Amino acid sequence: MDLNYTTEQQAFRAEVRDWMRANVPAQPLKTLEGREGYDQHVEWERKLASGNWGMVTWPEAYGGRGLDLIRWLIFEEEYWGAGAPLRANQNGIFLLGPTIMEYGTDEQKARFLTPMAKGELMWAQAWSEPNAGSDMAAIRTVAVRDGDHYVVTGQKTWSSRASFADWGFGLFRTEPDSKRHKGLSFILFDLNSPGVTRRPIRQLHGEPGFAELFFDEVRVPVANRIAGEGEGWNVAMATAGFERGLMLRSPARFQAMAKRLVELYRQHRDTASPQAREAVLQAWQDAEAYALNTYSVAATVMAGGHIGAEASLNKIFWSELDRAAHRAAMSLLGAGAELRSLADGSENSWLEGYIFSLSGPIYAGSNEIQRNIIAERLLGLPR
Amino acid sequence: MDFRLTQDQIDLREAIRDYLSGEHGPEVLRRLDAEGNRDAAIWDGLVGMGLTGLLVPETQGGLGMGLVEAALIAIELGRANVSEPLADTALVAAPLLDEAQQADVAAGTLKVALGHPINPWIADLDQAGLLYAGGIARPAPDAGQSVETVDPLRRLFAATPVAEDDRLLDRAALIAAAQLIGAAERMLELATDYAKTREQFGQQIGQFQAIKHHLATVAVKLEFARPVVLRAAFAAQNDHARTPIHVSHAKVAATDAAMLSAETAIQVHGAMGYTYEVDLHFWMKRCWALAGAWGDRAFHQRRIEAAVVDGGMTIGPDTTFESELHHG
Repeated sequence: MDLNYTTEQQAFRAEVRDWMRANVPAQPLKTLEGREGYDQHVEWERKLASGNWGMVTWPEAYGGRGLDLIRWLIFEEEYWGAGAPLRANQNGIFLLGPTIMEYGTDEQKARFLTPMAKGELMWAQAWSEPNAGSDMAAIRTVAVRDGDHYVVTGQKTWSSRASFADWGFGLFRTEPDSKRHKGLSFILFDLNSPGVTRRPIRQLHGEPGFAELFFDEVRVPVANRIAGEGEGWNVAMATAGFERGLMLRSPARFQAMAKRLVELYRQHRDTASPQAREAVLQAWQDAEAYALNTYSVAATVMAGGHIGAEASLNKIFWSELDRAAHRAAMSLLGAGAELRSLADGSENSWLEGYIFSLSGPIYAGSNEIQRNIIAERLLGLPR
Repeated sequence: MDFRLTQDQIDLREAIRDYLSGEHGPEVLRRLDAEGNRDAAIWDGLVGMGLTGLLVPETQGGLGMGLVEAALIAIELGRANVSEPLADTALVAAPLLDEAQQADVAAGTLKVALGHPINPWIADLDQAGLLYAGGIARPAPDAGQSVETVDPLRRLFAATPVAEDDRLLDRAALIAAAQLIGAAERMLELATDYAKTREQFGQQIGQFQAIKHHLATVAVKLEFARPVVLRAAFAAQNDHARTPIHVSHAKVAATDAAMLSAETAIQVHGAMGYTYEVDLHFWMKRCWALAGAWGDRAFHQRRIEAAVVDGGMTIGPDTTFESELHHG
C-alpha cells in the first residue's frame, strides 16, 4: 500500500488543472434536462474534446488518452474541483462506450467510439419499458429480422436524454416468442429514423430530459447489433455493471459537493439544526470514504481484478450519500430551500440537486434490487 | 499510488486469521467466560506467533512492521474477539517504549497498560508491568479492584488522572477502530450464517427480502469504513499532518459500521440473539465497549468539525492522500 502520488501523477494533475482553469465556463450552465442547457452542455463536450479530454481512459485510437484508472480519478478531481459541468454524454461515454469496447466489432468501434469521445454523437439509453423497469427481463418491444434489417415495434420509457440526443441503445426482443432473459438483443438506433416518435416526459423539476419512445416499424440495420443475436441480456448486465460501478459517479463530484455543503453550513451555522450539522459532517466523511474506496477498487482493477457484485455496494453508497447531503442542504436553507433562485440571483442548485438525488436510488437498478444482489451474490444468502 | 495490500501483508493477515480461528474460537471465549477471563496459554500462543513483536524493531527481537500491519492485525483481533492486552501492548505502546522495554514486549514478558484522560478506566492494569501515559512509561501502580463492565472478557480499573497525549490517543483510537471493523465483519458473518440455517414459515429466514436488505445494508457500511481505517493507518505510519482527522474519521466510520452490524445481527438472530446461547453477544459487547473507548463518536465528530468547518480543512485531492500540491 502506497498512498502517495507519483511525480508523473502530480504532473498530470497540474496539466489537467491548467487546462480546466483556462477553459471551464465562468458561469454555470443551465440544466442539461432542458433544450437550452442541453445545447450548452454539448458545446462543452466539444470544448473538452478539443483539448483531448473527452474520455481520458479510452485508447488514443478512439479519441482518448489511454490513461489508467488512477489518472482518471485525478482527472475527475481536477474536473469537478474546477466546477466543470455535468457530462451530457455520460450515457455514451460511461455506459455504451465500455460496452462497445468489450463486445463491439472493430467496425462498430471505429464507427461509434471516436464520435462519442468528441461529443459529436450524443446518446440516450432506452432500457425501461412501461412494464419493464426494475424487472428488465419483462421487455416486450420486438425487433423482427427482415434481411439485413430489424423492424422494431413497441415502446420504451424513462429514456434519459432521449428528448435531445442523437442515438439510443437498448434491449429488444429479437425472438418474438422468447421469455425473460432469453431472445433479447442489444441494438443501437438513430433517434431520427422514420417511425421513431419521442414524447418528452416532464420530470419532477419541470424539465423534459426524459422521453417516451414509440417505435412504429422502425428499420434498424443488423450491423447496429452489439454481440450476437439473443445475447443482449449478458451485454446489458455488463453495461449495468459499468453504470453502478466506478465510472458514472466519480467520487470527486461528491467531494466537490461536500465542500460546497460545508461552505453552506458555515453560512447558516447559527440557525442549523443539530441534525443538519450531523448530516453535513457525515456527508463530508462519506464523500471521503467514497473516494478512498474508489481508489482501492481502481488499484485492484488495474492489477487485473474485476468488479462484480461489489458494484452494487458502490451504487447504494453514492446514491444514499447524494440524497442525504442534499437533504441537509435543504434543511440549512430553511424557508429559502423552496426558491428556484437564491438571493444573489443564481439558480438554487441545492433544490435542483435534491430533486435529482431522489432518482439515484431508483435508476441503474433500484437500491432494493442492489440489496438483493449483495445479499445473494456477496453474502451467499438463498434466493 | 496503489491502494492495495502487499502480498506480504495479505500473507501475514491470513496466517494470523488461520491461527486465531483454530486456537481462539468461540469455545475459548465460552471457557474464559466460565473459568475466569484470562489464560496464560493464550498469551503464550500469541507471543509464539510473533504478535507481541510486530511493531518492535528487528534489533530488539521484533518484526519491525508499521501501523498499517498493526491495523490489519487489529482487525483480526477484533474478528476473533481476543481479550488479552495484546492490542494495547504490542500495537499501541510498543513503538513508544525504549529499546529494553521493546525487547521485553517482543519476548512476551512485559505487558503495558495505557492511560489517557479520555478514558475514565484503564484496561488490564492488573496484568501490566508498565503504565504508558502522558508520553512516559512508568511502573504500573497497584490496580486495585476492577470495575465490572458489560463485556465479560474485559477488565477495567479506575484511573488516576493522567496527562493528555495526542499521539497516544490517535494510535489507540486507530487500533480500536480497526478492532471494531473486525468485530463488525464477524457479526455480519454470524448473522448471515444464522439466516442460512434458521427456518421459519417453512423456509430459511435468509430467503426473506427483509432479512437480506438488513444484512446488505451492513455490508455497504462496512465496505466504505475499511479503507477509511487503512488510510488513517497509512497517515499515522507516515506521520502525516492530518493524521488526527483521518483517525477521527476512522473511529466514527468503524463505530457506526460495528454498531449497525451489532444491532442488525441481534435482530436477525431474533430472541436467540438476546441470550448467551449463541456466540453473538461476545462481539456485540466488545463493540459497545470499544465504541466508547478512546473518544466516542461525538468526540471524534467534534474533532472533524473543528478541522473542517472552523479550520477550513478542505476535501479533495490535496487532502485525501496528503499529496503536496506545489502548483500555481
